[in-house]
Amino acid sequence: MSHDGHHAVVIPAPGPEFQPHTVAHHFDTPVQEFQSAKLGFWLFLATEILLFGGLFAAYFYFHEMYPETFRLGGKQLDWQLGALNTAVLLASSWTMAMGVRAAQTSQKKLLLRYCGLTVLGALIFMAVKFVEYSAKDAHGFVVFADLFAPYDTATGQIPWFQDYDGHMAGVPHGHLFFAIYLTMTAIHGLHVLIGAGLILWIMKGAAKGRFHAGYYLPVDLVGLYWHLVDLIWIFLFPLLYLVP
Amino acid sequence: MTVHDHDAHAGSGALQMGHHHVSSAALFAKVLVALLILTAITVGASRIHFGAANMLIAMFLACVKASLVMAFFMHLKWDTAINKIVFFGSFLFLSLLIVFTIADQTTRRMDGKWHVQKSPVQYEWVHPRLLTDKKD
Amino acid sequence: MTTNVPALDAGAAAAGPRRNFLDVATGFWSWASTLDHKRIGLMYLVGVSLAFLCGGLFALLVRLHLWEPHGTLFSNADYNQIFTLHGAFMVFLFVIPAIPGSLGNILLPLMLGAKDVALPRLNLLSFYLWLVGAALATLAIVFGGFDTGWTFYTPYSLYTEQAVVTIGLAVFVLGFSSIFTGLNFIVTVHKLRAPGMTWFRMPLFVWALYATSLLQVLATPVLGITVLLVAFERLYHVGIFDPRLGGDPVLFEHFFWFYSHPAVYIMVLPAFGIISELVSVHSRKPVFGYKLIAYSSIAIAVISFLVWGHHMFTSGQSTYAMFAFSFLTFFVAIPTAIKEFSWVATVWRGSIALNSPMLYTLAFLIIFSIGGLTGVILGALAVNLHLHDTYFVVAHFHYVMMGSIAVAFFAGLHHWWPKIFGVMYDEFLAKIACGIIFVGFNATFIPQFIMGSRGMPRRYATYVPDYTDFHKASTIGAIVLGCGIALMVYYLVASLFQRRQAMQNHWGGVTLEWHAPTPPPVENFTTPPVVTTEVYDYSTLDLDTMRRPVQ
Ligand SMILES: [Cu+2]
Repeated sequence: MSHDGHHAVVIPAPGPEFQPHTVAHHFDTPVQEFQSAKLGFWLFLATEILLFGGLFAAYFYFHEMYPETFRLGGKQLDWQLGALNTAVLLASSWTMAMGVRAAQTSQKKLLLRYCGLTVLGALIFMAVKFVEYSAKDAHGFVVFADLFAPYDTATGQIPWFQDYDGHMAGVPHGHLFFAIYLTMTAIHGLHVLIGAGLILWIMKGAAKGRFHAGYYLPVDLVGLYWHLVDLIWIFLFPLLYLVP
Repeated sequence: MTVHDHDAHAGSGALQMGHHHVSSAALFAKVLVALLILTAITVGASRIHFGAANMLIAMFLACVKASLVMAFFMHLKWDTAINKIVFFGSFLFLSLLIVFTIADQTTRRMDGKWHVQKSPVQYEWVHPRLLTDKKD
Repeated sequence: MTTNVPALDAGAAAAGPRRNFLDVATGFWSWASTLDHKRIGLMYLVGVSLAFLCGGLFALLVRLHLWEPHGTLFSNADYNQIFTLHGAFMVFLFVIPAIPGSLGNILLPLMLGAKDVALPRLNLLSFYLWLVGAALATLAIVFGGFDTGWTFYTPYSLYTEQAVVTIGLAVFVLGFSSIFTGLNFIVTVHKLRAPGMTWFRMPLFVWALYATSLLQVLATPVLGITVLLVAFERLYHVGIFDPRLGGDPVLFEHFFWFYSHPAVYIMVLPAFGIISELVSVHSRKPVFGYKLIAYSSIAIAVISFLVWGHHMFTSGQSTYAMFAFSFLTFFVAIPTAIKEFSWVATVWRGSIALNSPMLYTLAFLIIFSIGGLTGVILGALAVNLHLHDTYFVVAHFHYVMMGSIAVAFFAGLHHWWPKIFGVMYDEFLAKIACGIIFVGFNATFIPQFIMGSRGMPRRYATYVPDYTDFHKASTIGAIVLGCGIALMVYYLVASLFQRRQAMQNHWGGVTLEWHAPTPPPVENFTTPPVVTTEVYDYSTLDLDTMRRPVQ
């Protein structure tokens, strides 16, 4: 470690198609930089768990309060689409893990390919989600056009919950299930989109040769983010589509 | 299932990053297959009526799947102790939130005469379908 | 604590005037784009101080309004907005970020012997998020204000025709600012300690900040989702907090207090940390029970997650939950008492120097004893049902928030001021101001304890005439308190222009920050420190370098 602080630690590039990485000035070693960023990111993921956790707590709370509403509500969702999306996300989690592996082994083309496949998985997921939301809209479970309209305080009628066919007529507060369904899947969907954006950013850097066995930290972190999105869906799927 | 396969062709810079685990492609493939099978089991189990146990079974299977993702895809199995503690800690503290709120919910109806009764809700909820029926 | 270098780097002095972090670069952009933890900490200091002055102004308006039983200044609706603004500004813009954001940011890397926090960019982002949050909170006033109280209780916050969504967004953004600061500190403590800086050689301020950071990371996200859900509820009627739609406002209170009880410790733990440092330095004696204080910070952090229901004893929570929460609440008193006793034992038979930071510290010790013990009273279920939402509660948490946390913040500011700026304020005025603040504070809140125990409810714009004398006494106290703070602001700001030189190690501290040059250069230490002795070992104090004036 030099005394003037200008002498930077550099990780050499493993080949001509890659770029070297300069360690930030306040770290002494690449290991310290890697581990700091990694711990920071795990802490961030922990905050994501607790943020989503509030929604899960609300789910369990009202599942306990109105079990019939939730049972009937779950029946209105298309479990086949849910299962399809589960498979898509699991597969994309696998391609992401393979992408990180490609970065760890300095395989630039493979990294780009797996990242591309993961983004494709995200797009398929969102397309299926769109089909699903449209069906909910058609049944009047979530009328998106009226989502932000004010509700009638005298009758307690919520404009976005019309239930045209009366599927939920027998149970109290049918809209509650769909409100929780919409909120959870929409926030999760937002995370899918953010994740896809981050993977595209990784692909941009990968094309320039920034990531290799010596330095793949950003790939690793974005990978962790993507697996977290998968992790949350693993719980959402049985709770919403197969309401126990 | 074999775990902890080290990949031979880690690049030249790998040493400078400290010891990092590179899992084999075969391991990842096995994990994916296991996850898909567990998804099928989850759907199957939801078809059989176990009563209240359905929730426990679904959550147990989800936890198994989540553990697979965390251990292998997220490399947590080979990660540092502090990172493991951080992530599992978040689930622990989340469980505090859920357990205490649900405990309040479920014990409220056991309160009986000890408890101040909630005032009745001012507006009774009416299903929208019934409202439109009346108009017709 | 000694290092492998002399406390003052002789070579740097020979090379001409040293460049410290303050004068290494000038101009607006050199501050706005800085990644230096000390500069970010100073920007936080300016920000939270302005927020504190705004919040204090709102407080004075509240007190002036309550001069007469029918209220003197505002309509009832305006009064509701003013006290809400006071609470929201003080809690979210001042008390939560104040100590970690300013003193924590500046001192944590110095105390660990690091060059910076682990994630400097995130640190700057955290400050900008604070700015955005402050801007949104100000915007919410422009958009019609908000009158829900800082607690945003549903269902009122769902029905009121005011800028609840804007202030909710502000709280969400400020929450992430706080999360990122905490996250950064945890990583820094784990990964950037200097060689030889073991966990049990860390100064207690660092331990306290570490425990605070755990709370920031684990509790704040739940507040984030809660205010988001309130916003969603107002935008598209989710219904989960709205009793008209089958929801349950008690669930909101659970979510809110799951954060906001630990938040009390997010606020007070850094204050404990400052006091632990100061009692030692100004008594020139190692901290009594160092490990106990360190562990008790962690214990408080963990226990604080188990007691939130004590804010909900009249909310319609189940009786069984109330028993459990009341019982668990008493356990917080144990680690807190350990700290209080350790501080007193540290001062005992020390060579006490009644410097201004020490006077603020002694004020803290007295005020916090009252604030803490009244907390135990309020934690008792049966008593709480009687005192709930009275001025007794108001007085209790002001003894903690203002009397303890803000006073500890002032103490820390006075203690590290010569370190940070290399200049010394007027000690005589500082001692006077400390006395005025102590008297003014107690004059404000002792009457509130009394009228609270007699049933005066909080948040009311008017009151029955029986309470008039208490309210008048309280208002006079608030004005005295305001004068004391104004005097403090004056001499602190004036010291920057008078440039009366401080000494290199002005109070004779031995933790690592006093081994760095004063004011520290950008990279903190001219030679990376190596720690070889235990913390608070005053036998290592080098009196010659200590008394050398700053160039
Ligand atoms: Cu509390």
